[in-house]
Amino acid sequence: MYTDGGEGSEQPNRAAEERRGTAERFRNTDLPLAKLWTYYYGLGGGIDEMSLDAYLHEALDIPASQVALIATAITELTEDDLP
Amino acid sequence: MTAHDSSAGSFDAAPPEVPQSASNIELRLQEMVLDSRDVVGFLTDLAVVSSSRLSSPDNRIHTGVTVIRRKRAEAVASSDAAAHALDELQNGFGDGPCLTALRAGKTVLVSDLATERRWAPYLKVAREHGVSSILAVPLDLAGEAEAVLNLYSGRSNGFSEDDVSTVEAFASQAASSVRLVLRITQLSEARSDLASAMQSRTIIDMAVGAIMAENRCSRDTAFQILTRASNTRNIKLRDVAASVIRSISGEQQIVTYFDE
Repeated sequence: MYTDGGEGSEQPNRAAEERRGTAERFRNTDLPLAKLWTYYYGLGGGIDEMSLDAYLHEALDIPASQVALIATAITELTEDDLP
Repeated sequence: MTAHDSSAGSFDAAPPEVPQSASNIELRLQEMVLDSRDVVGFLTDLAVVSSSRLSSPDNRIHTGVTVIRRKRAEAVASSDAAAHALDELQNGFGDGPCLTALRAGKTVLVSDLATERRWAPYLKVAREHGVSSILAVPLDLAGEAEAVLNLYSGRSNGFSEDDVSTVEAFASQAASSVRLVLRITQLSEARSDLASAMQSRTIIDMAVGAIMAENRCSRDTAFQILTRASNTRNIKLRDVAASVIRSISGEQQIVTYFDE
């Protein structure tokens, strides 16, 4: 998740970093793809499961707004796991 | 822990289920699959059946099931509290006959704990619990999960050669039932995940629309506002959305009609 640092100045960099960071975070969990996609869809996500898979393997660029939702989904799902 | 809790006397007079043939077991397993509510319930039934099949009046067998979940060994089901405690103990040590059987995918028989050299720290404590022999048979779940049946007896040489092959045959039949139960649970879990996604998506979409109208902004910006509020306050996105709707309309409950 991005830290709420400056507003906007380093947008492109931050977006690229977040893109990679989110994909990497997913690989560090053992969340099944289908579960992540369903949850992300429930948050209002707009890309299909196959594109999500491609994105997570850094094979597809998706809009930053979708990355933010995926990041939120991963965060909320892994929070659920804590006892 | 039902059937074999009856007194040894009545056990002797009328064995609960006289030697069951393979097809009988198959039928029993099928019924168990149909009756099971979840994997843990099914595995508990499995442990109870395995205990009652092998126990005799003077040699009571305790059965536990250990499953690898999220890379950790967990004692998920057992025929009784004693078996559960022994499984937990072994997982605590991180090594023992059952974990070895699980990792190697092969049956491990410890006929007499007193003479066994391997797994010394665990076996010492297990002996203090009154265990004298252990039989561990892994379930082959075709990579979908990993599980092992752990059988404990208070007698040395508590498992005959026949017992070992009985348990192995039982384990291979049980494995396909476990796979079936896993599939069923995964499907019903996916279905309920989807239903709750429909619910939350409705709430979030409504809130996004409300924010767009209020701030005269784009959908992306509205999402950003919502996400930021969720992050900074550490509240789930759907709960933030629900509070946005509440603050506008006072509606407490937004229901999505969702039917199979």
